[in-house]
Amino acid sequence: MGNRIFKAGLAGITVLFVGMLLWAMLSLIFMPSWAEVVDSTFSAEMLYSIRLSLATSAISVAVVMVLAVSIGYVLARFRFPGHQLLRTVVDLPMAFPELVLGLCLLLLFGHDPLAGWLKRIGIDIVFSKTGIAIAQIFTAAPYATRVVYAAFRSISPRYEMVARSLGCGQWTAFWKVTLPMARGGLFAGAVIAFARCMGCFGTVLILAGGTRMFTETLPITLYLNISYGNLAMAMTSGILLILISLAAIVTFEILNHEVVL
Amino acid sequence: MKNKSIQTVWLILFLALTCLPGIAWSGSEPLTVYSGAGLMKPMDELKAGFEARYKIPVRLIYGGSGELFGMIATRKAGDVFIPGAEKYVKDATKKGMARAEGQRSVCYHVPIILVPAGNPGNVQSLQDLARPGVRVALADAKAAAIGKVANAILKKNSLMEQVSGNVVVRPSTTNQLLIYTATRQVDACIAWEDQATWGEAKGKVQIVRIPAAQNAIKTIPSAVVTYSKQADKAQMFVDYIASPEGKTLWQKWGFPINKPE
Repeated sequence: MGNRIFKAGLAGITVLFVGMLLWAMLSLIFMPSWAEVVDSTFSAEMLYSIRLSLATSAISVAVVMVLAVSIGYVLARFRFPGHQLLRTVVDLPMAFPELVLGLCLLLLFGHDPLAGWLKRIGIDIVFSKTGIAIAQIFTAAPYATRVVYAAFRSISPRYEMVARSLGCGQWTAFWKVTLPMARGGLFAGAVIAFARCMGCFGTVLILAGGTRMFTETLPITLYLNISYGNLAMAMTSGILLILISLAAIVTFEILNHEVVL
Repeated sequence: MKNKSIQTVWLILFLALTCLPGIAWSGSEPLTVYSGAGLMKPMDELKAGFEARYKIPVRLIYGGSGELFGMIATRKAGDVFIPGAEKYVKDATKKGMARAEGQRSVCYHVPIILVPAGNPGNVQSLQDLARPGVRVALADAKAAAIGKVANAILKKNSLMEQVSGNVVVRPSTTNQLLIYTATRQVDACIAWEDQATWGEAKGKVQIVRIPAAQNAIKTIPSAVVTYSKQADKAQMFVDYIASPEGKTLWQKWGFPINKPE
């Protein structure tokens, strides 16, 4: 009897919460008329925003993966003093609000010495499209690093040792053995990084300024159009973001069978 | 034994849940006041003063003027509307969202040029904003009252085109303007005078005044929302913030109650 109540309770909570979550998402999707959604999707502002989001996210994901593979491998394979500290520092941005991360980056990239050095080689980060990518990279890297680290951890170092005993160098063993074995985890990391980049809001808003039709990515379009009281545009960017996240999560779940988080 | 304790937990949870609404919904419904984000400092004190005097609880919702306008339009609820500029109350009255009778203008809202401490761009006048190389921030014209007003001032002085070339960012709230100026990411922005009075900004920013002939000085309006279910209490709030007691609080936070010369 008690067992049944316990199970029924758990099932009830699950159904209640998941049901409300689905209801909330569906009510956003079905609130505006389709004509409004189509009009908004093909407006100059939305097309600009979609294109900019995709372009910056693609670049950011490439950079994030280089970072995630390097840091993930260091964490998974090497033992050194400060190992735990490094993990904590890398994970830290996941815990605090994006706005805080944005403010930190603004102070780093907007002030000397870094701002002066970058200016000399012609790179402008604050209030620029480069700034969007930088914001996305710093937001997404911790998530991707986590997934890639877990993937490397799940591969026994013995494979590399065998490869090295057969004459491979450290780099060749990594490139020919570990990396291919971790490819499921790498793809999963890239998908998570892409989803985080597309949805990155607070960091982009503060570092890149959130200027209409200039540093306007999809979440900024959503935010600006709420400020303008333009609901159709706001809801359409919300729907696009939900669809993109959905595609990312489904891809992630398919690839995720190969890694243990 | 185990089942029994789980049952007890469920019972407590169930009881707690049924009690919750009773706790939250007893007592009188607070007055909901939609206030421009730039008015935060005096509004917090006005709320405290009003609550102490009339024993009526007040809930403040801050946002960009356009955002608040949209919120009242979609939620069809709320009691008092206090945006950053007269125009929004006029529009709300036209659309039947705000009562025409009983409106008060509570104080003046004066645009100024705000520069980082030490004035690194040496900005002394509106004309200096057009000087090549000066980095200028203006608020988004659709999202924030100050953005619209800044455009009007530049147009009035035939500076719009030259200054546009120097605008590096168009954030959607006045508070973002202040952050960028205080952290020296821009040489100047057009903001409200009272922002310079705020504690956070002390020592970080300086004011450059715009002569009255070149300026566009606004009044801060307040009106009762037509959807209000407690319109008489809402009117008491509107009258209170325009009373002599209210006006001293506005003045304390840098909002002039006499038209500046």
